[in-house]
Amino acid sequence: MFKYILESAGDINWMAIFALLTFFTVFGVSLYVIFRRDKDFIDHMANLPLEEEAPQPNGRAAVN
Amino acid sequence: MAKLEQFSYDNAIVRKFAYASIVFGVIGMLVGLIAALQLIFPSLNMDLPYTTYGRIRPLHTNAAIFAFVGNGIFMGVYYSLQRLLKARMFSDLLSNIHFWGWQAIILAAAITLPLGITSAHEYAELEWPIDIAIALVWVVFGINMFGTILKRRENHLYVAIWFYIATWVTVTVLHIFNNLELPVGMWKSYPVFAGVQDALVQWWYGHNAVAFFLTTPYLGLMYYFLPKAANRPVFSYRLSIIHFWALIFIYIWAGPHHLLYTSLPDWAQSLGTVFSIMLIAPSWGGMLNGLLTLRGAWDRVRTDPILKFMVVAVTAYGMATFEGPMLSIKSINAISHYTDWTIGHVHIGTLGWNGFLTFGILYWLLPRIFDTKLYSVKLANSHFWIGTLGILFYAIPLYWAGWTQSLMWKQFTPDGFLAYPNFLETVTQLIPMYAMRALGGSLYLIGVFMMVYNLYKTVRTGNFIANEPAEAPAREVYVAHKGEYWHKWLERKPIQMLLASTVLILIGGLVEIFPMMLVDDNVPKIESVQPYTPLELAGRDLYIREGCLGCHSQMIRPFRSEVVRYDPNDMQYSLSGEFIYDRPFLWGSKRTGPDLHRVGGKYNNSWHYNHMYDPTSMSPGSLMPPYPWLISDDLNASQIAKKISVLRTLGTPYPEGYEEIALEDLEKQAKIVADQLRAEGVEGENLEQKEIIALIAYLQRLGTDIQPVPQAGN
Ligand code: HEC
Repeated sequence: MFKYILESAGDINWMAIFALLTFFTVFGVSLYVIFRRDKDFIDHMANLPLEEEAPQPNGRAAVN
Repeated sequence: MAKLEQFSYDNAIVRKFAYASIVFGVIGMLVGLIAALQLIFPSLNMDLPYTTYGRIRPLHTNAAIFAFVGNGIFMGVYYSLQRLLKARMFSDLLSNIHFWGWQAIILAAAITLPLGITSAHEYAELEWPIDIAIALVWVVFGINMFGTILKRRENHLYVAIWFYIATWVTVTVLHIFNNLELPVGMWKSYPVFAGVQDALVQWWYGHNAVAFFLTTPYLGLMYYFLPKAANRPVFSYRLSIIHFWALIFIYIWAGPHHLLYTSLPDWAQSLGTVFSIMLIAPSWGGMLNGLLTLRGAWDRVRTDPILKFMVVAVTAYGMATFEGPMLSIKSINAISHYTDWTIGHVHIGTLGWNGFLTFGILYWLLPRIFDTKLYSVKLANSHFWIGTLGILFYAIPLYWAGWTQSLMWKQFTPDGFLAYPNFLETVTQLIPMYAMRALGGSLYLIGVFMMVYNLYKTVRTGNFIANEPAEAPAREVYVAHKGEYWHKWLERKPIQMLLASTVLILIGGLVEIFPMMLVDDNVPKIESVQPYTPLELAGRDLYIREGCLGCHSQMIRPFRSEVVRYDPNDMQYSLSGEFIYDRPFLWGSKRTGPDLHRVGGKYNNSWHYNHMYDPTSMSPGSLMPPYPWLISDDLNASQIAKKISVLRTLGTPYPEGYEEIALEDLEKQAKIVADQLRAEGVEGENLEQKEIIALIAYLQRLGTDIQPVPQAGN
């Protein structure tokens, strides 16, 4: 019985299984890591591009 | 709070890359337009070797990808990296070496490709000396980027930088593997892999060039410049992280979807399909993240051309990444592959996603570093509309063309004959679509000229801030209560990122490619398949030089419609074992002309002679360029001995010492071909010395190894 299942699984290449497993591991780990972070940290990260910096020239409102 | 440090951002390097991107954008698109027009008016090939379609096409693709988009990437990275890390670039010298080195490579490409110097690997056509230069410049860029990261004042790396790091790592790996080749001379080399293996490595590269040159760096730019232009943070930072890891992991596996129904083993094809379909998830996650960043700002989108460009860019990204997985489904691919559908698909990506994002960034960035306002918002808005129209006029006719082509190729009459047995019929049908496509391209290019004018005026009224002053606290010694260990760990974080993304992309690469290299069963041998004779080899190298694979495939897929059409004996589709001596493989990716894998013996020699001299003489109305120089120029066979010995080193079983008599063999065979030509009424002095002789020998050899009886065991 088991032998039969394994044999028919032989068509699905071990590489495909390996690939899928690693993918779900990567996906799971990244979910876990990012949702464990607290909100302050996430806010800080999200605002990094916006917290500028030096004397902004009058170009700021260039086309708005 | 630590003490504020004064420093400045290097805008000069940003400006350089911006200008280069604009200049090469214009040039690359112009060349593309010429190529598009050549398909309507073959006389635009100008009877010159340097300007024929086969040589111009790689010039266009390389200019668009590596010169326009490449410089665009560097512009955006150099601008955003400094600001996200609150640090000037690591070294101004390296920045400049990077800039000038990259431009020198582009120049080298612009010279060598029209000269016919090419490795025939699509999007990696440049020959080995230039490949080495690319690797060096890329390393300079890497050192500069990681140096900046290490001396940063901001502890945390924003997600855009993750994308930059993954880009750098993966392009390094791809570039090295796909360009493993053994030089024959300064401007000629043979790849280490042959046939199916070469194809797999090439399309693993080719697909990931799209993924990691046209996509991941631009996603990094999106995650920086879109929030900037909208003046609000990205919709979900968490989503962006998941987008990142899922995308880079899945992308690397998708390459084989370029080889569905070819001689690539089934397991590899299935992997390519599965991962391509999975790609929808992270891609759309990223697209939605970008679009939702604009929530509550849609009123501004209506007036702000920059946001408009970015919205359409992100939407185009979404469309292309939906279409891509669809095209990877085998039954759809059976229809789309080798047709102009693919070209339409690619241009949604390049014109829409890369082009429009670049334009948006340019309009946003140049006024800022010139301390001024954009000269004309109205003109930028017009650019947006004409550009959008251009994309539609480009893509829709090509989708139509793709369907038309495919249906005509596959159509049988009720009696079981091909409904359109003459391939040319399926080509002339497309000319109106090609004309519309050229119109679309022209509109798009007109838009670019409007931008050039607008930005020129902007720059003229501004004052360039070469070194933009900035201040930020020094990077804090990381929060003490976490202890030394954490501190060290974070210090090393960029390096960890680097390692993690390298491992991830290597998993995909290695698992897919190594079995192909190592397991012999993957390419069943066929006894009767023999190495090319010296003359055929020389002819094959001419085929490569002229870029015939820009229009001709050499891969008959296992469909009845293809076997009937392309095999004059109506017997056999292409088998992997037939390609084991093909360095490089020449399967091609599009059929503007018919498949040639079994053209050997289909016509007599004089047919080819006349056809190459003037295709319309044999096939009235043909779009194929004429090649009169093949008939007037003498074959340069001086490298033949070296070629034979290089190929033997790589594993082609030429007997030991054969190189010494190779030239003699070549001349013998040339005489036979020339005599046949004379017998068929072709006149000409010193016929046997001409290039055309070698090309005919090659064409007549194609596909004949397994005829007339197909080998057992297939
Ligand atoms: C612009 C696209 C284009 C390029 C480049 C091109 N061809 Fe063609 N080729 C065609 C088209 C279209 C046809 C079909 C009409 C005809 O017979 O001319 C064709 C037909 C042929 C045929 C006849 C095939 C058959 O089964 O009837 C041969 C042989 C051929 N090409 C060889 C070459 C070679 C060799 C090169 C490079 C030196 C080349 N072609 C470059 C478009 C192209």
